[in-house]
Amino acid sequence: MLTVSDLSVTLPMAGVPVPVLSGVSLTLPRGGSVGLVGESGSGKSMTALAVMGLLPPGARTGGQIGFDGHDLLAAPEAALCALRGRRIGMVFQEPMTALDPLMRIGAQVAEPLRRHLGLSRAAAAARAAALLARVGLAPPRVTPDLYPHQLSGGQRQRVVIAAALACGPDLLIADEPTTALDVTVQAQVLDLLAALTAEAGMALLLITHDLAVVSETVEQVLVMYAGRVVESGSTAAVFARMAHPYTRALFAASPHAAVGDPAPIPGVMPDPRARPPGCAFAPRCARAGGECTRTVPPLLGTDAHRVACFHPHAAR
Amino acid sequence: MTGFLLRRLLILLATLIAASLVVFAVLQVLPGDPAAIMLGTGARPDTVAALRHRLGLDAPLALRYLRWIAGLATGDFGISYTYSVPVRTLIGERVLVSLPLAVLAIVLSTAIAIPVGVLAAARRGRAADAAMMGVAQVGVAIPNFWLGLLLILLFAIRLPWLPASGFPGWDGGAWPALRALILPALALGLPQGAILARVTRAAVIETLGEDFVRTARAWGLSRRAALWRHAVPNALVPVVTLIGLQFSFLLAGTVIVENVFTLPGLGRLVFQAIAQRDLIVVQDLVVLLAGSVIAVNFVVDLVAAWLDPRQRLAA
Repeated sequence: MLTVSDLSVTLPMAGVPVPVLSGVSLTLPRGGSVGLVGESGSGKSMTALAVMGLLPPGARTGGQIGFDGHDLLAAPEAALCALRGRRIGMVFQEPMTALDPLMRIGAQVAEPLRRHLGLSRAAAAARAAALLARVGLAPPRVTPDLYPHQLSGGQRQRVVIAAALACGPDLLIADEPTTALDVTVQAQVLDLLAALTAEAGMALLLITHDLAVVSETVEQVLVMYAGRVVESGSTAAVFARMAHPYTRALFAASPHAAVGDPAPIPGVMPDPRARPPGCAFAPRCARAGGECTRTVPPLLGTDAHRVACFHPHAAR
Repeated sequence: MTGFLLRRLLILLATLIAASLVVFAVLQVLPGDPAAIMLGTGARPDTVAALRHRLGLDAPLALRYLRWIAGLATGDFGISYTYSVPVRTLIGERVLVSLPLAVLAIVLSTAIAIPVGVLAAARRGRAADAAMMGVAQVGVAIPNFWLGLLLILLFAIRLPWLPASGFPGWDGGAWPALRALILPALALGLPQGAILARVTRAAVIETLGEDFVRTARAWGLSRRAALWRHAVPNALVPVVTLIGLQFSFLLAGTVIVENVFTLPGLGRLVFQAIAQRDLIVVQDLVVLLAGSVIAVNFVVDLVAAWLDPRQRLAA
């Protein structure tokens, strides 16, 4: 249903176009689930915004994003507006700022309903109240006439989820939906997302920096680093092998990983304006050899498991 | 809400008392004896003393202050030293000019500035934005009295559509009076509108970058719908605050434009009263204007609370 092929995005930084995504491909079947994993700046959120057609002004794109026969990169703005919120829902990272502070939460959930389904004010309000109850925000504790500032972060994220799911989309994009929440609430919100998408047969594109989170939630994983996919495949295959040194480092850095204390990855991701000519991870990689600093390793393998590394790990 | 209003009223009273004390004290320190000024330089000392006694100027300070405040509280503003008419009548006539003028100017300024500011923000960095903000920059830089002279040249002399100066009063009907206020309202409102447009543009550009605007776009709202439904309402609080400040200024800070159009407004009254040491008029006007500034701020707070539930529910 969603096919991203060879997606590239460049953004102007101080007037100079800088590549932030290169050669990103992924396939998400109807009802399937894909996890995009990587550190801040790896390009995972940019991939989501490209699918939504909400890239920052001045962005230039290459490749294709196919969604049910539409090429989203070539579609006119009006067609994208008709898809957003109707067929593709999105949940954002920051529930504290993702809702309009001046508008009651019921009215915000009703907004996509009124826009896409043409519901009357009363009908949309009734549907919004039902949706809020469905995500666990029911009276007497939470009523649709509350304002966002009267809710906790977890409750606000539930409002965002209710609005994203209001029109019954075929695809839900969740960009770090739990990162800004308390640890105790994170699992609840993830479970809610998983339950709602499974129930409706909705495809899920889950974006996270926490590799351990995706292991339980999604069928396929793409590990991204510096705007490229470095390892991809079925969740089982990727977790069984973790061939790329970055995947292993990321897993070791996860607070949810089963083994030992989280181990931070030494060094920082290269600035997109000054990426090394070879593998972008080479400067932080203990296994890097001569060719790693000269050529970008291609993403090779089968649909079940691919890796972009000259010195991959063998099975764990 | 009742507590909010009560607290506000108390603050209003306290501010008025403080303002009255300050203006009373300052005017005592200023050189120039009203009685001497009224009688001229050739007056005999005993005539001056008699007048001082008749005006109550020889009473102790505290007593004079209390007399004045008690008068204000009962609606007796005293008698003007120079015109020998009740100050209330004097101010009342001027308010009938200044208040409609201020309302007209602020309506004009707001009606132009908000659409221009929002459109410029929506088209920021493009030709329409540059053109509108270029005009606004000129508007900010033009002194209002000079704009008033230009308007007189164009719309009163070159094209004889509107009166160049003077005010016929409201007794002859609303239309002749309003006609006399149109050019001064333009001269005052356009430069204010230019400032307001720039503030509106900056506020809308800021809210356009907010996460909730992106959320609205992800719900399928067009750029325009996200702008008007989410970005603009969130940008209005600072804009309303500035409108309140501008209105307070327009009530009495317009002496130069009033002179250009020879309008009998509050600004000229303040100016004349100070020049002629008509202390009682100055005192009354300052307290009145302080009160109106506080009242306008109060209305601004109410509007902000109405716009923003965070302020409403916190109060």
